[in-house]
Amino acid sequence: MSLGTQARPAETEAVGTSSRRARRDGNGLVVVRSRRLGVSTRVHRRSVVVSLALAAATFAVLCWSLAVGDFPIPIGDVLAALVGAGSDDADFIVRTLRLPRGLTAVLVGAAFGLSGAIFQRIARNPLASPDIIGINAGAAAAAVFVIVVVSGTSAQVTAGALAGATATALAIYLLAYRKGVTGYRLVLVGIGVTAMLSSVTSFLLTRAQIYDAQRATIWLTGSLNGRSWDHVRPVTAALLVLVPVSVALARHLRVLEVGDDTARGLGVRIERSRGALLLVGVALAAVSTASAGPIAFVALVAPQIARRLTGGRTLALVPAALCGALLLVSADLLARRLFAPSELPVGVFTAILGAPYLLYLLARANRIGSGG
Amino acid sequence: MDHHQDPRGERRGSDLRADGLSLAYDDRVISEGLSLRIPDGRITVIVGANACGKSTLLRGLARLLRPRAGSVLLDGSDIHRLPTKEVATRLGILPQQPIAPEGITVSDLVARGRNPHQRFFRQWSDADEDAVERALCATRTDDLADRCVDELSGGQRQRVWIALALAQDTPLMLLDEPTTFLDLAHQIEVLDLLAELNDCDGRTIVLVLHDLNLACRYADHLVAMKDGQIVAEGAPGSVVTRDLLAAVFGLDAEVVADPVTGTPLVVPIPARARRRRHAAEPVDEPAVHAPLVDVGTSASNGHARSLGERA
Repeated sequence: MSLGTQARPAETEAVGTSSRRARRDGNGLVVVRSRRLGVSTRVHRRSVVVSLALAAATFAVLCWSLAVGDFPIPIGDVLAALVGAGSDDADFIVRTLRLPRGLTAVLVGAAFGLSGAIFQRIARNPLASPDIIGINAGAAAAAVFVIVVVSGTSAQVTAGALAGATATALAIYLLAYRKGVTGYRLVLVGIGVTAMLSSVTSFLLTRAQIYDAQRATIWLTGSLNGRSWDHVRPVTAALLVLVPVSVALARHLRVLEVGDDTARGLGVRIERSRGALLLVGVALAAVSTASAGPIAFVALVAPQIARRLTGGRTLALVPAALCGALLLVSADLLARRLFAPSELPVGVFTAILGAPYLLYLLARANRIGSGG
Repeated sequence: MDHHQDPRGERRGSDLRADGLSLAYDDRVISEGLSLRIPDGRITVIVGANACGKSTLLRGLARLLRPRAGSVLLDGSDIHRLPTKEVATRLGILPQQPIAPEGITVSDLVARGRNPHQRFFRQWSDADEDAVERALCATRTDDLADRCVDELSGGQRQRVWIALALAQDTPLMLLDEPTTFLDLAHQIEVLDLLAELNDCDGRTIVLVLHDLNLACRYADHLVAMKDGQIVAEGAPGSVVTRDLLAAVFGLDAEVVADPVTGTPLVVPIPARARRRRHAAEPVDEPAVHAPLVDVGTSASNGHARSLGERA
């Protein structure tokens, strides 16, 4: 509808009888509300379409990755196996061997994408993503410490990575804090912290036994090889909590974006909201790094790709998460099959895809002199 | 709380006052023991030289800055004790440098002004839609609704920010230098818009302005500040005098009646004209003001000197 000059009196609206309706204005925004439930929200039509398309594409690539391998399975059998109606062989291969890996890719990718979008929006800077500002590096240093010094089990490595990511995030926050956290400080402090932690990791690797060093290196590249349901469960549980929380906090994010004073004036407790958002972003990055290693660039690239797909407006969280899922599940498929039968760690592929984009961002930030 | 969403409906009074307010940034004290009452339903304009603490006062009044001592009372209660979201339904603030997220459209930005009225399950009600439409129409930005904020001119952008504050739909609006960076025509446009809002639905408006003449034209109540203190307040005609200009702005100026509005019109006397007049004395210079001793100093150096020093 057009934004006409007449303003309708609120009373007329209040007695409307439709229980659920969707309206659209010239801006491509669709209003969805239910009077009976007292629920209303407004969504960007193109974001919805893009999200659905990304979800469909992710599912398609996931099925494809379940089908291909040393023992190819026709796609129809894959679908049958997914609903538990396949042959015993197909069931075993799809549901026990391939599905956990595929699902881990989808969930970890989504978590990275969501985390990247949250950081980039809070910092108002496309460089501010957990893989650039040192959260992944913190997880990596801690994980390598557990592998090399403690020779820990994979559960201990995961726990170490979680602890490392959280501690690093806290350190970055405290170092960057000066009456609140601004985007550029966060990025600069984060890059410094990353450099420091990388040197810690390198030092640990030089002191390591050869077997530990190899194990650590594979973990550091980020890999989805040999994931089982034991890997899927913790990520799923974390996402079940963190995704709804992020969506709930997105409301505050929308207001935080218009500047601290304006946001305060609009009734947002900015330090609390921003703290909660950063906490969720860190938790997402930490959980995904703990389960798949510090896979590079997904968190950096996914939100920006999603932004371009949704029409270059503001960064939307859900498309960013779906974009991350699609990116990672595709990269993992390539990593598995491109040089089959030998498999590459998925982190190699995301780095090949993501590094040129990082260079582009840095070159652009340099040119316009604003940090992106 | 619903009655707040219709500006033509019944409004709660908007009583804002500062009581013994001390404001500081870290250890730098800006104001101490400042008391002020904002007249309800009027336009109040705060003026003063650069760095006199007028923006700080506005931030204090808008609860963006926590006072060191004293309090800001909104309808009788301490603004820092009220839930901030509730305050946001009664008092809106347009800060000096708001930030438009990259790529955001006008209507999306203005819609964010509805935050104080929204709840998790009610994120886009009819009242939200109406308020945004009204705000766009009132600021004549409805044609721009689908445009990107980045590509607008300074004047258009300022109108969009005012639309955001309007969409918040509060009986009290505080605006920090809403006319900065605008040419004269756009300054008038913005101030006319605010005056119209004041006339039509009796909104209480508090402005920080740089331009004294515009301040005199639009203010019902003028507050002059110097070094963090209120030097004078009242109707512009009683506040703006030659002595006050010298004391507050360090400005040597004649005050005449504005030919259009009859409000005080400040006509600064440039140093050169002052020298000529001085040389010509006493032929055409009636001795109505203190003799000018410090002739060589630029009149616009911005440092307030006390009248005592000048004598």
